[in-house]
Amino acid sequence: MGVYKIGPMKGRHRFVLQVCAALALIASAFAVKVGDPAPGFTVVDSNGKQQHLSDYKGKFVVLEWHNQGCPYTRKHYESGNMQRLQKEWTAKGVAWLTVISSAPGTQGFVTPSQENDYLKTMKATPTAVLMDPGGSLGHLYAAKTTPHMFIVDPNGTLIYNGAIDDHPTSDQADIANSRNYVSMALQQAMDGKPVSEAATRPYGCSVKYKD
Amino acid sequence: MSATAQPAAQHARAELLARQASVKPGSDLQLGVHFILEKGWHIYWINPGDSGQPPSFEWQLPPGFTAGEIQWPRPERMQSSAELADYGYHDDALLMVPIHAPQVINNEQLRGLRFAVEARWLVCREVCIPEQAGLELFLPSGTIKENSAAAKLFAEAEKQLPMPIPQGWKIRVESRKDDFLLTVANGKPITKAIFFPLDPGQIDNPAPQKLQSSTSGATLTLKKSDLLVKPITLLRGVLVMPGKAPYRIEAPVRQPIQ
Repeated sequence: MGVYKIGPMKGRHRFVLQVCAALALIASAFAVKVGDPAPGFTVVDSNGKQQHLSDYKGKFVVLEWHNQGCPYTRKHYESGNMQRLQKEWTAKGVAWLTVISSAPGTQGFVTPSQENDYLKTMKATPTAVLMDPGGSLGHLYAAKTTPHMFIVDPNGTLIYNGAIDDHPTSDQADIANSRNYVSMALQQAMDGKPVSEAATRPYGCSVKYKD
Repeated sequence: MSATAQPAAQHARAELLARQASVKPGSDLQLGVHFILEKGWHIYWINPGDSGQPPSFEWQLPPGFTAGEIQWPRPERMQSSAELADYGYHDDALLMVPIHAPQVINNEQLRGLRFAVEARWLVCREVCIPEQAGLELFLPSGTIKENSAAAKLFAEAEKQLPMPIPQGWKIRVESRKDDFLLTVANGKPITKAIFFPLDPGQIDNPAPQKLQSSTSGATLTLKKSDLLVKPITLLRGVLVMPGKAPYRIEAPVRQPIQ
């Protein structure tokens, strides 16, 4: 899978974007499987900086699909669970990329400055937030829900695709009794062990794609 | 009947109904939570598909009574994008639960026996909202009698419950690299059918289910889910064909010949 660009572009780059959109549609037909190379991307983050997956070669990368209005996302942010995970794993060298694929006019769509305000209010510290209002990155990974979690290993291989934990509810009280699949997979992979639960059913709200 | 319906939040109203007007010791009683949904909103099946969450019930029953599992009517398929398809109900749905009465009924109050349920559900349109309601009804003990007002609703819901496949039908499931082939042989051509998987993460929910009709039935091609990393031994679900009862499918999966 080649690298392709997503984000605001002008002039002849528009053509590139259209080709990329077509690629994304094709890509979604194949989607991403655990064990396969994670598809590369370039997306602009909430600070206007281009983020390439390849920038993080040699590191573990977590992708977290996000929608701040979704009750299942709120479960993990209002409890502080997601922030704890971000803090714990970025401190261990993991790149944590939050992705927002809500289309303009749908729940969870935010401008970059609104997102930065949200991060401050929630005390959330992902490595970066990727702004994907066109949904190309979401389609590339076939992201289905918020949250939906992916983990890429330092070689660029997808090692986890699925839910954040084993309690598919919107109730904060369930977090204490949950097995967190993301932490389990990261810990096992860092210990050089195979990931025991590498693909689970993600749970939450549907990703609010424009189409 | 002395049922009380409590209006819940805005998008779904729920009421607790009884098929019977009284409870006979040692017999089975049918209760149901009836959801009346705002137009355009839906709730979910036991396998919600790619997003969502099925309703859950927590019962408070008179001493000695026990509640069985929710009897799920066949769902509808709701596709919101190329990646996403969910399974659930629009407009209204009755989720029935069998309740077993003990041989000896104690604790009957003046108002009758109290049956209560804390119902929690997720209701979605473009956005999703968790809702809940505490529902209750009172029934006297006595000889068994249908509650005529509710019985019709229960009878309608019963027609939507998956049935065992008829005698003589043959179901075969073959696993291939990227899909399952579900073959139904009922002795007649089948021109339209849809399969709802009971277990999540086995088939790709939004993928079109290609139907190949034959003189003796049909074969449906079910694309495997990206999340399916281990072979499965059993395919379970509901097969729906127009004009027929929904059928329960539980078929062993033949693995590909290596």
